[in-house]
Amino acid sequence: MDLEQITGFIGLVFLSFVPYIFASQGTMLAGRTGQFNVSQEGVMLAGASIGFLVADRFDSIFIGVLAAMLVGGLFGLIYTFATTTLNLNQFVIGLALFFVGMALSTLAFKLVVGVTLSPPLIDTLKKIPIPLLSKIPVLGPILFNQNIFVYLSLFLSWFLYYFLYKTSWGLQLRAVGENPKAADSLGINVTATRYAAAIIGAMLVGMAGAYLPMAYTGTFTEGITQGRGWLSTALTFFGGWQPHTIFVGALFFSAVEVLALRVQVLRSGIPHQVLLTLPYIITLLVMVFGSRWVRIPGFLGKNYDREKRSVG
Amino acid sequence: MKKTRAFKPSTLGKQILPYLLAVLAAFIAAGIFLWLMGFNVLQAYQTILFTSFKSRNGFIQTLLKFIPLVLTALAFTIPMKASKFNIGSEGQLIFGAIGATATGIMFADLPALALIPLILFVGMICGALWALIPAWLLYRFNVSEILSTVLMNFISFSVLDYIATEVWRDPLAGHPTTIPISESGRLPLLVSSPPLHSGLLIVILVAVLVYIYTDYTSAGYELVATGANPKAAKVFGINTKILFLLALVLGGSMAGLAGAIEVAGKHHRLIEGMQSNFMALGIIIGLLSKGNHGVVPFVAFFIAMLEVGANAMQRTMAIPIEMVFIVEALILIFTLLSDTRKK
Repeated sequence: MDLEQITGFIGLVFLSFVPYIFASQGTMLAGRTGQFNVSQEGVMLAGASIGFLVADRFDSIFIGVLAAMLVGGLFGLIYTFATTTLNLNQFVIGLALFFVGMALSTLAFKLVVGVTLSPPLIDTLKKIPIPLLSKIPVLGPILFNQNIFVYLSLFLSWFLYYFLYKTSWGLQLRAVGENPKAADSLGINVTATRYAAAIIGAMLVGMAGAYLPMAYTGTFTEGITQGRGWLSTALTFFGGWQPHTIFVGALFFSAVEVLALRVQVLRSGIPHQVLLTLPYIITLLVMVFGSRWVRIPGFLGKNYDREKRSVG
Repeated sequence: MKKTRAFKPSTLGKQILPYLLAVLAAFIAAGIFLWLMGFNVLQAYQTILFTSFKSRNGFIQTLLKFIPLVLTALAFTIPMKASKFNIGSEGQLIFGAIGATATGIMFADLPALALIPLILFVGMICGALWALIPAWLLYRFNVSEILSTVLMNFISFSVLDYIATEVWRDPLAGHPTTIPISESGRLPLLVSSPPLHSGLLIVILVAVLVYIYTDYTSAGYELVATGANPKAAKVFGINTKILFLLALVLGGSMAGLAGAIEVAGKHHRLIEGMQSNFMALGIIIGLLSKGNHGVVPFVAFFIAMLEVGANAMQRTMAIPIEMVFIVEALILIFTLLSDTRKK
């Protein structure tokens, strides 16, 4: 392998890194307020379908992404309303919304496009080289000659880290997920924090879905996410619900994904089905080891009832 | 609420009322959407609700859907009784189907009396083994079964694809499919035209046995007690960790049996995509029944009816079948919402 192939490979890793980052950081954000949402796969699918359809209709990727974020935000709103306001089981509501998102993605596509062998195509994302920086050898083509979402995903990871650990708002948000009773007694509005985090988080998940047709296929296909939503949920888990470790985990995930595709092209004699299972098997293995050292938010998966004396 | 009161008609009505309201609300919500899209709502709902009863074929199609749905629902509810969530019945069903197909092809010479039970048994074992992996990861490493069972599904898709395209590929089929299993491995028919296989009897038997196990035996009571309060169960000397594992494996065997019955009764071969959306529907049935095994078959029949109606609606009115799936998810959400009122 020469240098050009290596930079090409790492460049591809960053291309497939984007959906994992958006979905996982979104999951993490809601999780840090104590909400364990498992609807990611469904919200990503809905975001992919509606993002694609709107982008196609208005001939604008930007409007398409906005629509996907809006749909995601709506899912987040319903989720928090059902769990935080109505005090229903987080996991069950997450599952129900996963089903709704999954069905909605296919339904919307069938209603708008119909059943066809030649679906409409949108232009996939263009690379935007950053002046000067993209000329740096090795680093330039990897980091500074990518589509806009790659830049956004890098910025988002840094921003979330800064927000959560260096600002007082971030501290308040984390407090809600660790000990809502204490946060409440300090005058933090637990309910509002949960709503905000879940809605913004789900918007990011919807965006992660919209990225798939826009970056790869140019169209929506049923089940286009191929489990990326679930993988992102797992990634958030063994990433310890922290933006920087999730960043590293997402790089690892996308490297496995790209590597599996590469080996497939090389005709190595390994059945391609074996390679396709790699991301899932590796995730299971990482979860085995990850479960020993990760720390999850203290109040994760529980609903806070401020009228109760005890917490949990 | 004391249990004895449940048998008074007024209380029973109060228990069923939220369900009826949830169904009504879901249908109204979907109806408004269909109306806005310019479809004939009345005709759509007539098709959804009555296709199962209008013809002999419709009723048999409903029973054929009912068979795997009861089993995938049990695959979810048995672990749920022990407070564990099995989101892997898709993969377990596929492995049951793979085991059944392999048996039906490799032991083609056996007489039906030996081969059919063997196929069903191997299917159950394969489903159970596929569930054993996440169950063991939970037991040994404390890995959340929610995520591990889901990830196992995606692995099973590739295994199915490999077997249907490389191992026993049927060269005549355009879609990844294996060659058929032996004639002697096929479930006898109850009705020959349209065909209704005897898997129906097996499923009813299994549903009754599971109901007796969880509601009337001490072993089942340990399972339910563990689910209700693991700490208390532990104090009373129940090995809760082993019970979690057992519950998941038992759930897996139910899905495995579903796969075996689909192969031996319906398809007579392994087909890519044969898992349909049985897992999602099974979970919805399980959650709607709130884990009550006396109710599961009835809810499963209701959902099977909606599914057959949805198929007919897609055929005759060009309304996508997913519309009904959303209705089913809405029924679930509205039923859950009605719980908040009681608290």
